[in-house]
Amino acid sequence: MRTIFGLLIVIATLCIIPTLDLVFAAETTGEYIDRKAEIWNLFFRMMTVAFVVGGVIAGTMVWQVWRFRESNPNAKRTPYEEGES
Amino acid sequence: MAHSNMLEWIYVAVVVALLVYVGAEAWNIERIIDHAPEDAEIIKVTAQQWFWSFEHENGTKEIGELHLKKDHAYKFEISSKDVIHNFNIPEYVVLLDAVPGRINTVWFSPTEAGEFDIQCREYCGLIHYNMRAKLFVEGA
Amino acid sequence: MVLELAKARPVWQIMFSTHHTDVGLLYLVFSLLAMFVGGAMAIALRLELFAPGTQIIADSMDFNRLFTAHGTTMIFLFLLPSASAVGNYLVPIMVRYKDMAYPKLNAIAFWMIPPAAVLVWLGMADFGWYANPPYSVISAPAPAAEMWIFGLKMLGISSILSSINFVVTIMKCKHPDLSLGKVPLLAWSFLSSSIIVLAAMPTFAAALLMLLTDRLGATGFFNPAVGGDPIAFSHLFWFTFHPEVYVLVIPAIGMMYEIIPRFSRRPIFSHSSGVAAFVILSIVAFASWAHHMFATGMSFTEKTVFMVGTLAAVPASAMHVFNFLATMWNGRIKFATPMMWAVGGIALFFAAGAGGVVNTAMPLDFITHDSYWVVGHFHLFVFGTIAFGTIGFVYYLFPYITGRMYNEKWGIVHFILAFVGACITFFTQHILGLFGMPRRIYDYPEIPEWVSMNALISIGAMIILVGMVIFLANLIYSTAKGKPANMEDPFGLGGKYYYPYEQRNPHH
Repeated sequence: MRTIFGLLIVIATLCIIPTLDLVFAAETTGEYIDRKAEIWNLFFRMMTVAFVVGGVIAGTMVWQVWRFRESNPNAKRTPYEEGES
Repeated sequence: MAHSNMLEWIYVAVVVALLVYVGAEAWNIERIIDHAPEDAEIIKVTAQQWFWSFEHENGTKEIGELHLKKDHAYKFEISSKDVIHNFNIPEYVVLLDAVPGRINTVWFSPTEAGEFDIQCREYCGLIHYNMRAKLFVEGA
Repeated sequence: MVLELAKARPVWQIMFSTHHTDVGLLYLVFSLLAMFVGGAMAIALRLELFAPGTQIIADSMDFNRLFTAHGTTMIFLFLLPSASAVGNYLVPIMVRYKDMAYPKLNAIAFWMIPPAAVLVWLGMADFGWYANPPYSVISAPAPAAEMWIFGLKMLGISSILSSINFVVTIMKCKHPDLSLGKVPLLAWSFLSSSIIVLAAMPTFAAALLMLLTDRLGATGFFNPAVGGDPIAFSHLFWFTFHPEVYVLVIPAIGMMYEIIPRFSRRPIFSHSSGVAAFVILSIVAFASWAHHMFATGMSFTEKTVFMVGTLAAVPASAMHVFNFLATMWNGRIKFATPMMWAVGGIALFFAAGAGGVVNTAMPLDFITHDSYWVVGHFHLFVFGTIAFGTIGFVYYLFPYITGRMYNEKWGIVHFILAFVGACITFFTQHILGLFGMPRRIYDYPEIPEWVSMNALISIGAMIILVGMVIFLANLIYSTAKGKPANMEDPFGLGGKYYYPYEQRNPHH
């Protein structure tokens, strides 16, 4: 639950700040949209999303691979093993 | 089914929400950068194996180099004389195919003075790797 | 299925056989051979790109021919045949039928591939595996181009014949007691990918024919001087080859669906979710082709449509990842070689997909199009996901096919080298692309970031090479002298996890 909440906060930040930026920004250098800045801005926001989600997934996998490896002292037989050696 | 699939549905919902966000943001930025200003000066860009040539509105022609002014808006009309090339100014994220028989347009406004690379970004044969030019932006 | 190398069968018997296990073996041996050939080409390319200036390839044309051959070899001669290998071996067993639906057609489909490979390798066309006109029409030298075109024609037909076989075997020849919904996910993966091939491949066949007639001067489909449009080829090409990348990845995911539950000692979390994900992916695969063409001058609306189509495929892939993670949860996982490859493959699958989502965000394509970002992205898919799944499955099938065990320690070493090498090589390529380096270039200017990253990438490639040499040695040595495997449970998993249905090759 907390991860989802945290994720939503990150997303909200990624949405609200650029929107405010676009609405309120007074472009000082020239009158034209800065193509380079807009595109790279979008790129870094996408990267934030990708790394947050990637961190969650990779973190889950790493934890899982560690916890459920058969050499873990806490490893339990699965219900599907039917008490074999 | 032995397991409750609620978690999976929530997961898919989160994935879809993220994708909607990505799509909406991308659509918005594309919309913003797509619209060329009326006062943009038109530069004709011609690609051919294996060099770039440019023609300004006033008829000035340049080969292998392009001189522009800082903070002015420019609209490139890009075409090719032979095969498909791709006009790319990496520093300013200008990138568009040069296709024979067709004119593609993209606009930008250079925000900094200096010297920048122009390169070809679509494989076009023997000297594709060296189909380069120089962009000179004069500060004013 | 066991090769029974103790009493070896004559090679010609295997070569002329139409039994699915023999055809599967032929596909497997050929595809691994092609993998090593394509890999050698990649090493040559990376040695050249290690630093600016000329290293080992004297001429840019040779470089251009090499990257064309590398791409063509890896996709058509390694990945597609290796999927067919696995499918041929296991699909009839999974649907409890005696062979493929059309055994002779099956053998014919295989035997079209080596001559096609010869055409491609002797021709060494230089126009990239996309073969974009007008370059591929007017500039690419004959007969290289024609040989490539004919080679690919044959490969396309082989693919279609193989797909017909899979579809009929699974849908019509399955055991009457087995409902389609209960067919194992690996078989479902072959059903999905085969249906995609049947729908998508004919478009490429048309495009190849049009390219050939344009080259011969008989037509002007892609010649603007007579009213043609080069971009039309791109549409035809990508209409086939975007779904084709799903044809490549879906069997690999199916292979992971075999390995992961078995080595976790748990059944798949949700079989029906896996089926649904394959079906959705197969359909949505057709909605995204023009995302490869965002730089051609498409209109805003067209690009938006294809961006949405691309994004729509992501939830289905995400469902597979969820399924794998949920299957491993609460398992007791044995990290033998096949499992390591499968899990490593899932990790890189996510990274590849995330990079793809970035590409499809329309404005970001202006940064990444035709740069090394794209090269890194698709290699994370084809190597990091598909080859990982395939190689893991080769290790998994090894005792089944040969009756011997491969050397486990060297298998793990191979995995570590491949994973570390893949991360170094392909993640760095993403960053190199952000710095603007185009793809398909023989040489590059001395931009400091490009120089250092290219050197790092080439080192990563060498690490992968070491792993692959170990793999080759392991395969050959273990086939000849490996310890006999416990055929009931080669991996010591607990015995209940192999197919309960044996298959008898009539020659054994």
